[in-house]
Amino acid sequence: MGPPAIEIDNVGVHRDGGWVLRDFSLAVEPGCKVGLTGPSGCGKSTLLGCILGFVRADAGRVVVDGSEMNARSIWSLRRRIGYVAQEPDPGRGTVEEVLARPFHYRANRSLAGNLERVPAWMERLGLAHALRRKAVVDLSGGEKQRIALIAALLLERDILLLDEITSALDRERRASVLQILRECPATMLIVSHDEAVFAMSDHVVEMRPPEPSS
Amino acid sequence: MTGAEDISALRLAIGYGLLIFPFAIILWYRIPLAGTTLLSVVRMTVQLLFVGLYLQVVFEQNSVWLNLAWLAVMIGVADFSILRGCELKLRFFAGRLFLALLAGTAIPLVVFVLLILAQASLSQAQYVIPIGGMILGNCLQADIIGIRTFYESLRKDRKAYLHSLAQGASLAEAVRPYIADACRAALAPTIARMSTIGLVSLPGMMTGVILGGAEPFSAIKYQIAIMLSIFSGTAITVFLAIRLTRSRSFDEWGVLRADVF
Repeated sequence: MGPPAIEIDNVGVHRDGGWVLRDFSLAVEPGCKVGLTGPSGCGKSTLLGCILGFVRADAGRVVVDGSEMNARSIWSLRRRIGYVAQEPDPGRGTVEEVLARPFHYRANRSLAGNLERVPAWMERLGLAHALRRKAVVDLSGGEKQRIALIAALLLERDILLLDEITSALDRERRASVLQILRECPATMLIVSHDEAVFAMSDHVVEMRPPEPSS
Repeated sequence: MTGAEDISALRLAIGYGLLIFPFAIILWYRIPLAGTTLLSVVRMTVQLLFVGLYLQVVFEQNSVWLNLAWLAVMIGVADFSILRGCELKLRFFAGRLFLALLAGTAIPLVVFVLLILAQASLSQAQYVIPIGGMILGNCLQADIIGIRTFYESLRKDRKAYLHSLAQGASLAEAVRPYIADACRAALAPTIARMSTIGLVSLPGMMTGVILGGAEPFSAIKYQIAIMLSIFSGTAITVFLAIRLTRSRSFDEWGVLRADVF
């Protein structure tokens, strides 16, 4: 049996005189979908930031696909991870431009053919074809989330980190998103408060706010 | 070619007499600017007197080393002005910005003096000091605009920047749109000035050359050459300022460091 896809080993993040994440451990096996829940301020988004290398852990280690995350490995590890933020900001330009942008990066050029799948994904997620020419800044929160999800799916990452992916969606759109996630073979860590997300997850982990420093 | 008419101290005093109009307005409307204005006029006079005395020596000596020393001092002062104007930490950026200003000033200056004016060396202070000063002044302004635009848009669009990294961009790929924005903002004033020059007012260098006794057509050629030098210098310095400060501004994980501001 290979190493876990994601291994969080006693990770702690200390900011402004207190712990925002403390002694947290978690192992996600390849292909598993893990729901992550907990009250506000318990460090869920901070944990995703640690896995993406945007937040530096002050204690513990993060291991992705058997490689420990450090300043050298982070650049290749990020290329195995897809991320959809709770309030995504995919940058300036139209939907079409935003979806095409990552394929200009050297790491993704070989996947540029996947852009042909954009119309099919948009249809499945209830996004009108005309939306492709609309500026991203004019989209609603739910539309931005679905565009960010399409971008992550087009990049065919082994691991998906999803932050409140269904929070801005109505019932019908939420069902479409969950069906797509169910079909996707990627390993997933899904921050959510949505029971439907937990129902499709293999495990649900409840995080607690860190104890105040003694 | 005859030199510009000298102004005696007595006649210069008449120039100070022009201050009666702004001071009358300031005092009449009780605008709280009287003290600041007076201090600024005194500072301008004292600073220019010292500069004039020093330049007198520099112009008499016509020494390459003295000219370069003068330019180095001016670049150093400009360096500090940029760091202050952009709220960046001195210890991180002073050396790198100095290099960016040096390259932006020196490259067009050397082309101007040695190739366009066909001088044998950089010893002619009457060319090196004013032309270097004009190029440097514009480089300073361009760097302040360029660096400020670069770091402010990165801070403002932090989420979009991190989104690029999460999508597999290298640091160079992720900052590319911000560099383009910064260069556009920094070069825009010079581009606008080039397109309207001569229509709104006579530009500084042309005025100086005409005052020095040259024919207007000769002055125009100087002005064209200085505008091209300024534009080239600003492009060089902004690109280098961002490129050289970039390696200090991001940590090894590609995240903008908070402690550089």
